[in-house]
Amino acid sequence: MPRFQLNPLTRRKIRRFRSIRRGWWSLVIFTFMMVAALAAELWVNDRALVVRYQENFYFPTYGAPLPGTTFGLDYAYETDYRDLSRRFAAAGEGNWVLMPPVPYGPYSTDLRDDLFPPFAPDWHQRHFFGTDTVGRDVLARLVYGFRIAIFFSLGLLVVNYAIGVSLGCAMGYFGGRFDLFFQRLIEIWSNVPFLYVIIIISSIAVPNFWILVLIMAIFGWIGITWTMRTVTYKERERDYVLAARVLGASHGRIILRHILPNTVAVIVTYAPFSVSSGIVALTSLDYLGFGLPPPTPSWGELLAQGWTYMSAWWIVASVVGAMVVTLVAVTFIGEAVREALDPKLYTTYE
Amino acid sequence: MTAYFIRRLLLIIPTFLGITVMVFVITRMVPGGPIERIIVQARQMQSSLGMAAGAAEQRQPLSDDQIARLKAYYGFDKPVLVSYGQWLAKVLRGDLGTSTRYYDPVWRMIAERVPISLYFGILTLLMVYGVCIPLGIAKALRHKSGFDNTTSVVVFVGYAVPGWVIGVLLLTLLASVWEVFPLGGLTSDNFPDMPLDEQIMDILWHTVLPLTAYVAGSFAVMTMLMKNTLMDNLAADYVRTAVAKGLPFRRAVFRHALRNSLIPIATSFGNNVSVVVSGSFLIEKVFNINGMGLLGYESVVERDYPVVLGILVVSSLLFLVGNILSDLCVAVVDPRVRFE
Repeated sequence: MPRFQLNPLTRRKIRRFRSIRRGWWSLVIFTFMMVAALAAELWVNDRALVVRYQENFYFPTYGAPLPGTTFGLDYAYETDYRDLSRRFAAAGEGNWVLMPPVPYGPYSTDLRDDLFPPFAPDWHQRHFFGTDTVGRDVLARLVYGFRIAIFFSLGLLVVNYAIGVSLGCAMGYFGGRFDLFFQRLIEIWSNVPFLYVIIIISSIAVPNFWILVLIMAIFGWIGITWTMRTVTYKERERDYVLAARVLGASHGRIILRHILPNTVAVIVTYAPFSVSSGIVALTSLDYLGFGLPPPTPSWGELLAQGWTYMSAWWIVASVVGAMVVTLVAVTFIGEAVREALDPKLYTTYE
Repeated sequence: MTAYFIRRLLLIIPTFLGITVMVFVITRMVPGGPIERIIVQARQMQSSLGMAAGAAEQRQPLSDDQIARLKAYYGFDKPVLVSYGQWLAKVLRGDLGTSTRYYDPVWRMIAERVPISLYFGILTLLMVYGVCIPLGIAKALRHKSGFDNTTSVVVFVGYAVPGWVIGVLLLTLLASVWEVFPLGGLTSDNFPDMPLDEQIMDILWHTVLPLTAYVAGSFAVMTMLMKNTLMDNLAADYVRTAVAKGLPFRRAVFRHALRNSLIPIATSFGNNVSVVVSGSFLIEKVFNINGMGLLGYESVVERDYPVVLGILVVSSLLFLVGNILSDLCVAVVDPRVRFE
């Protein structure tokens, strides 16, 4: 017997979510993409999965880089496994290298004699989506860029919601002057062109991941705060809150134990849409060159490359393809969550 | 209700002051303003002239006196709030100052760009409302049919992917690979030499892709809004009553349900004022269109603060007025709404 039992209402909501096939499959695909991105080192990497050298096995994927001398090469920097693989094959001494399906990392450039990147998609070279303008594999950049973008928007979501939920709740619950002050502040804040401010800030100091999250959060808390305020405002007037107050519950208890659980639906419904807007915002900033510093793999930077080098259509096509799949999946999840939590059974006429 | 709108109009003032103070202070605190730029230029000039100056002089090409004069010229010699006051006084007299980059009056720079943004804005507006309302109605009436599902896919892709990304894709495929449309800009190089009819064709030819990108952005929200509200209304009792009384279904939809469904569309109508004029700088950047959005973006990147603030004045006023216009629209179309 499981000790942890879900509330039957919650179970019904989950069942309803699963019955919306579009949203459910989007969730499956999206989870798969997340897992694949987390394990990216195992299938998109310029380090080998397994190296068999002189009766020993090496697993270089994770951990400290192995210098070339480990495998009897004449250099002390990290081994070039693609090259090693070719050498082993040529020597034919029973040594072998097992490379990942995509044998390129997000930073490794594939340089060739007499030819200049970008290279078109090439099954044989295992550049499945081609290379960018400096010879880095597009698929590798896409996968690692996705990983950064998704954690960026999740981090942004946590920060935004921490501010938004607490402030919005307080505004809606306490009302009065406190509410009025923040209402004006929000009105001013939401009118400041936030991309301009972010561009100004990030053109002075090149931001790193967390600084960029914080800068974006300065302007990102408004939406959820406003929604939470409205919802709390409505909940506050309900009889159960009055009953709790009559029983002598403190403000903190009323908010945390009674109002917040009743607003979870709103928070959950908003989350997928915040994730997709986070990804879009990071991509836009990277496209303009004000996001994460190069050579961080990013979709926006790839789009900028594709825009300046338009004959390399595969760059833009693969980024847009990846964006469509990701964002549409997230949107479908959001729609399904909304429908599961708040079923509107429409009447249709024949 | 008049009192309500007068109060709303008056509330524009503190909000407007708040916005401009914030951006003004930010532009002041940030390094890299016009004076730093002039110093850098002077230093480059010095080194290109090959002046055999001492190391100390090399570091600071301008004398303290010159820097003080520059600061006075740009208003950097006074405390932030004092120079904000001076700036505001000039704005109230209708003077937005001169660009620190091009030394043109900001008003003229904005006025040159507005028609371009207006052109795209109005076309987008016509396209969005012209397509979304009929499409939304059709989707609501054929809910869960094949037509509804296929259009939903298009709508969701348009909703999920931002317009400028669609723009980059269109540009790459249709302009670069297949060469059907031009690579951005609004006119061809030989535009001045063309006869009038060719000029019109040329502009239209350049308009197609950016317009598609613009429409793609706002298209989805509008269509879904129209569809969902119409479906809400179709399920409402008054429509059922009308049908039960023997009204043909079409009449019930168009005479009763549709009119009420247009109310939510009206709530966002006023915001079009600012969208139409300011445009989207990302789309303008992608297509290299010299509209308001691109002007704002370039002035931010180049630290041309008078232009940044000038655009901020125009766009925030439009936005605030647009919000009130939206409320007014709602009050006009929905007699149940009372503002107090």
